[in-house]
Amino acid sequence: MPELRKDPIVGRWVIISTERGKRPTSFKMTERPAVAGGFCPLCPGNEDKTPPEVYALRRDGSKHDTPGWTLRVVSNKFPALVIEGSLKKQGEGMYDKMNGIGAHEVIIETPHHGGSLSQLDLKAFEDVLWAYRERIVDLEKDERFRYVLIFKNHGVEAGASLAHSHSQLIALPIIPKSVMEEMEGSKNYYKYKDRCVFCDIVHQELDDKIRVVVENDDFLAITPYASRSPFEIWLLPKKHSSSFVNISPAEYISLASIFQDVLSRIEVALDDPPYNFTLHTSPFNELINDYYHWHFEIIPTLSKIAGFEIGSGFYINPTPPEEAATFLKEIK
Amino acid sequence: MKKILVADDEEGIRILYKEELEEEGYEVKVAANGKETLELLNTFLPDLVILDIKMPDINGLDILQRIRTMFRDLPVILSSAYPEYQQNLATWASDAYVVKSSNLANLKAAVKKNLGA
Repeated sequence: MPELRKDPIVGRWVIISTERGKRPTSFKMTERPAVAGGFCPLCPGNEDKTPPEVYALRRDGSKHDTPGWTLRVVSNKFPALVIEGSLKKQGEGMYDKMNGIGAHEVIIETPHHGGSLSQLDLKAFEDVLWAYRERIVDLEKDERFRYVLIFKNHGVEAGASLAHSHSQLIALPIIPKSVMEEMEGSKNYYKYKDRCVFCDIVHQELDDKIRVVVENDDFLAITPYASRSPFEIWLLPKKHSSSFVNISPAEYISLASIFQDVLSRIEVALDDPPYNFTLHTSPFNELINDYYHWHFEIIPTLSKIAGFEIGSGFYINPTPPEEAATFLKEIK
Repeated sequence: MKKILVADDEEGIRILYKEELEEEGYEVKVAANGKETLELLNTFLPDLVILDIKMPDINGLDILQRIRTMFRDLPVILSSAYPEYQQNLATWASDAYVVKSSNLANLKAAVKKNLGA
């Protein structure tokens, strides 16, 4: 019989098929949609086709906005939100509005067009994580912003429009609703139990072992108990840490190592599926706290959201997370 | 006189853009589909292209890729009724993105800027 499982942070219900779940081969894509090829505006030599860089790593002393970089961050050329101006918050009858202020940046993770995050050398992967940190720290100084969302779309079906490996960042003048729900859920749990809900998840998963994909000294990768999607994976620090920007240099190395391991396992098990990952970290106004625990959520795009999910807020997951963890654990 | 190629499958848009841009002093030719666009690129040799994205035979973003392979620095303005295409990073190979409107002020400004006028 299927199970209804409840996410302990936000209280979201998920229907999990506990009978024989869909195996990784059930999701392998037979036809892969093409990402725009040919001329790539993110490649070295085409810096004039992007806005000026706001951050770059150049180990050869090359000049701004020229080739020679190993990682480059630029503003979105055609942004949905604009960086200049004031918020001008106002009411319109019963409705609220403000100017569309925000920062939208693209993190070009590698100069190599065909490279993917899982194939970068460890130092290059670590550089990507440092770039996320540096951009968050810089944007935090802007008093208009409340939250920076870091995310990656890999593959056309996950929303990527260029094959050149990149992730994105959006600084927002509001805290997104999904983040608010996680913060509220974590606070409520803390009020009731005097413990961080994520720390409790880490402890229980380390005890149970059945949903652990891989771990190292500092981090743990699990398929969460109430996974919304087949092969959903959370990457959590083992010790309490409320903000991604406050971890140590050694932890960035450790994170790069386990993150790359997890992405490689997904790619091997599911034949390089499209996926999204998002960084979940505390908003600027409560960076240091005892109740929230930063983490990455990685969701392969293997199922479609339809009327039931939209209407109910429920998700249907045909692969129990325990089976997904077993499959991924066995990948060498 | 600077030459502009307008590629759009909507006849009304082709007529409007041609009339308005000719009034601004440009020489304008129009293409109704991707095939015509590619032909005129090589025969008309425009100084700037205004390119629709949704066209019946070849997608505007694919044409943009071909333009960049042939003429790396030819200014291209994407003109689409669909602002959501702006979130597609393939549009970055263009020089400007203008959402279609009956008011051509933004389009004309983008043309001037990219022709250095």
